[in-house]
Amino acid sequence: MPRIFSRRNFLITGAVLGGTAMVAAVGGIGTLATVDMDGPDPLLDGDRLVFNAFVAIHQDGSVVIQAPRTEMGQGIHTGLAMLVAEELDIPFDARIRVEHPVEQLAAYTNFSGPLRTRPEGAQGPVMWAAKRLLGLLPLNNTAGSRSIVGMWVPMRQAGAAARHMLVTAGAARLGVQVGDVTTSDGFVRHAASGRNIAYGDLVRDAAAVPPPSDPVLKPASAWRLIGRAQPRVDLPAKIRGEPVFGADVVLPDMLHAAIRQAPVFGASVARVVNEAETRAQPGIVDVAVIDGRSVAVVASSWWLAETAAWRLDIQWAATEAEVVTSAGLARALQSALDGDEPHLYLHEGDVEVPAGQVVTAAYTAPFVTHACMEPMNATVLIRGDGTAEAWCPTQSPMSMRWGVNRGAALADVDPTSVTCHVTMTGGAFGRRSDLDVVVQAAFLATRHRDRPVKLMWSRQEDIGRGIYRSHAAARMRAALGPDGLPVSYDALVAAQSMQQSASARLLPFGNGASPHGDRFTVEGLDKSYYAVPNRRLRSHHVPSHMPIGAWRSNGFSFGTFFAESFVDECAQAASQDPVAYRRRLLRDSPRHLAVLDRVAALAGWGTPLAPGRGRGVAIEEAYESVVAEVVEITVAADGEITVDRVFCVVDVGIVVNPDAVVAQMEGGIQFGVTTALMSSITLEAGAVMESNFHDFPMQRLANAPEIVVEIMPSNLPPGGAGEPGIVPVAAAIANAIHAATGRRLRSLPFATVETLGERRLRTVLPAVDMAARN
Amino acid sequence: MVSLNVNGAPVTVSAPDDKPLLWVLREDLGLLGAKYGCGIAQCGACRVLINGVSTPSCVTTLSTVAGASVVTVEGLPQADGTLSVLQQAWLDEQVPQCGFCQPGFLVAATALLDRVPQPTNAEIDEFIDNICRCGTYPRIRRAIHRAAAAQAQG
Repeated sequence: MPRIFSRRNFLITGAVLGGTAMVAAVGGIGTLATVDMDGPDPLLDGDRLVFNAFVAIHQDGSVVIQAPRTEMGQGIHTGLAMLVAEELDIPFDARIRVEHPVEQLAAYTNFSGPLRTRPEGAQGPVMWAAKRLLGLLPLNNTAGSRSIVGMWVPMRQAGAAARHMLVTAGAARLGVQVGDVTTSDGFVRHAASGRNIAYGDLVRDAAAVPPPSDPVLKPASAWRLIGRAQPRVDLPAKIRGEPVFGADVVLPDMLHAAIRQAPVFGASVARVVNEAETRAQPGIVDVAVIDGRSVAVVASSWWLAETAAWRLDIQWAATEAEVVTSAGLARALQSALDGDEPHLYLHEGDVEVPAGQVVTAAYTAPFVTHACMEPMNATVLIRGDGTAEAWCPTQSPMSMRWGVNRGAALADVDPTSVTCHVTMTGGAFGRRSDLDVVVQAAFLATRHRDRPVKLMWSRQEDIGRGIYRSHAAARMRAALGPDGLPVSYDALVAAQSMQQSASARLLPFGNGASPHGDRFTVEGLDKSYYAVPNRRLRSHHVPSHMPIGAWRSNGFSFGTFFAESFVDECAQAASQDPVAYRRRLLRDSPRHLAVLDRVAALAGWGTPLAPGRGRGVAIEEAYESVVAEVVEITVAADGEITVDRVFCVVDVGIVVNPDAVVAQMEGGIQFGVTTALMSSITLEAGAVMESNFHDFPMQRLANAPEIVVEIMPSNLPPGGAGEPGIVPVAAAIANAIHAATGRRLRSLPFATVETLGERRLRTVLPAVDMAARN
Repeated sequence: MVSLNVNGAPVTVSAPDDKPLLWVLREDLGLLGAKYGCGIAQCGACRVLINGVSTPSCVTTLSTVAGASVVTVEGLPQADGTLSVLQQAWLDEQVPQCGFCQPGFLVAATALLDRVPQPTNAEIDEFIDNICRCGTYPRIRRAIHRAAAAQAQG
């Protein structure tokens, strides 16, 4: 296939600022800032017309849609394809093929994440310049529940632009006015004469039609796909077990690699004692120390490589982190909270205002990890001619390309080009925004030119040598007025900055962002939608040797637990019902109040439950969506806790694919239940103690609650759906435990796991809360 | 050299006796449906039917399956490629999210329906102990009931 040049991409890369300035001068900043159709000009390529960066139609009528966000189970390829198909007026059927683009175009940039705005809202010269800069990279990542938020307008514009060209070409062919034809089911139709032309028959003519600069989008009343559940385009292959994942990549002459990384983060390899014996084994091709930090075995089979890696005798150099323990790190959080000069994130009014009853509480959360079902892997080929190609289940082709370059640079190799193939991912949850495994695979590939090297971590490496969500601790204080509602709310939180740790690892320059005032540390603690006149939010960064990274819902996963547990404690202090209390706090937030009221009704809030059972509620605004959940639990006499049912109501704004939103709520809730009841990463002598699913357990069918999800009708622009579901779970469970037992649990995880024979477990509340022990 | 039957076809494999069946399938036979998830028979992503029994293939060595009949997820559809009743139910209920663990669940659920044609939720929970990190459990239960109903109707 001929290489497609993007008009603007070419201007940017070929002429840098001169080119963009010229375009700005000609087109006007206002125009460019609102049109995001960067990408190729229409291009006839064999039997198909590439209309733009997102849509191509073949002469047989089949449509190929480029979906530049990673499919990791959230159904984003389906959602993005629906947006194109809606405007293009094609049936949502098997004639649509969805691909993750290989060519990285500026049009695929995720503007809305870093700019923290919707692309359609990014107006004016500053935003224009920021978008040009991000488009240079181009920054493409699937993160922050931003895919529909960010692509909601561009994908529809792409479909509408293609439809405009087809309509123009069709009307000309029929010799009628553009206004006299309509489109449906992939045809341009002229009702007056009864003549129809299939899109596939128009692609040659449409190639000559200039693309519209500002394609007109359908009004909501004309939608026939948006808001109606469509089947996931990726499921048939997954149900047949087809090889769609990075772990399934098989290439001619491919080598397999397994790895052992330092048990204590930051330790270096002193010596591989049995390197010579390992190399001498049949099938072993290479033993390599990567960046002084890990040892890889390369072999003709992964099983051989992994077996040899198990037998490696590696001496690690001593590091000062060897004395670190979970208890020590937990004490460091408490010392920080005791200390001076926290970062003042927010202060509205005066939290020292005199008031009546004072409520205080302290909470903690442990380190946790992602445990994606597909272990970390990457396949990299570096050719003798200097070009590189990589296949990886990644959330970011940009990070992937940087990873290849960085891994190659460890061997003083500078690839002339890097072609990135983003595969389906077997779970991601933030973990695959990191580039560690790509760096390692690329380094190995430099040692075996012209042979693809597939590096896959064992589960032990994934759990015990991975990337983690920070632990956290908070102290909360509220002063209640005569009506029992908080007059002031004061939250102080300590955690290790994700922003600093992740950016130091990911960015190819500098030592990372400032850890102070990291918004990921304070997520969920703001409570701006509650009517509390005086609010303060302060944070401490507490460094450690642990690598911290993105983890589904980030700070919300602990912050909302702290804050929504605390709201229940305030309600209890005021002797008020938790839902009634929140209703009064939400008096100025009708969107939130409607969600709360609906979930309370759905769950039958207030109806009696048997002894030992309890209900808890929590609500949060996250990723431009509002979600509330009511959890029903049972606590047996011996402390066994069962989450029976979870009711969830979510307002995600306009819904593209309702079934995908429901699935994300279901999945987020199950993820949240596992995390709240049983997830904890612990350290001894600087090393993570957990290594696999036997000691970092997951709920199974027998532990999985039934879930009822309802989506609120909304006309707001779409918000995120991938992460909100998990956010209220922990607080709702804590509040339910309190309702059932009178005990207030303030530390995650709530339960200890008892095994009941092989692959069976139950969760039991400990006699003493962790927070009380600290 | 070990001979066995995989998805209805006889195969002979030249690999070490102690190589796990999972890696024989993936590396020697090019069948990539069964997945590596943990390597210690915890997660079930590698489950295959061995003489009809749902078995974690990551801890099953090649020598122990000599002469056995092995069915992987690729072997579940009918001969003409039509999805099995269970797979169709999986599609109808839109069960998978990331999909990585689903071959193991499909194998385990196939074995369950073979033994218990109309399982209760309690029987499903008792029989199937695979891990799904995405949390598709409620849909898995629904799909099994749907398949059971479809099979009962013949």
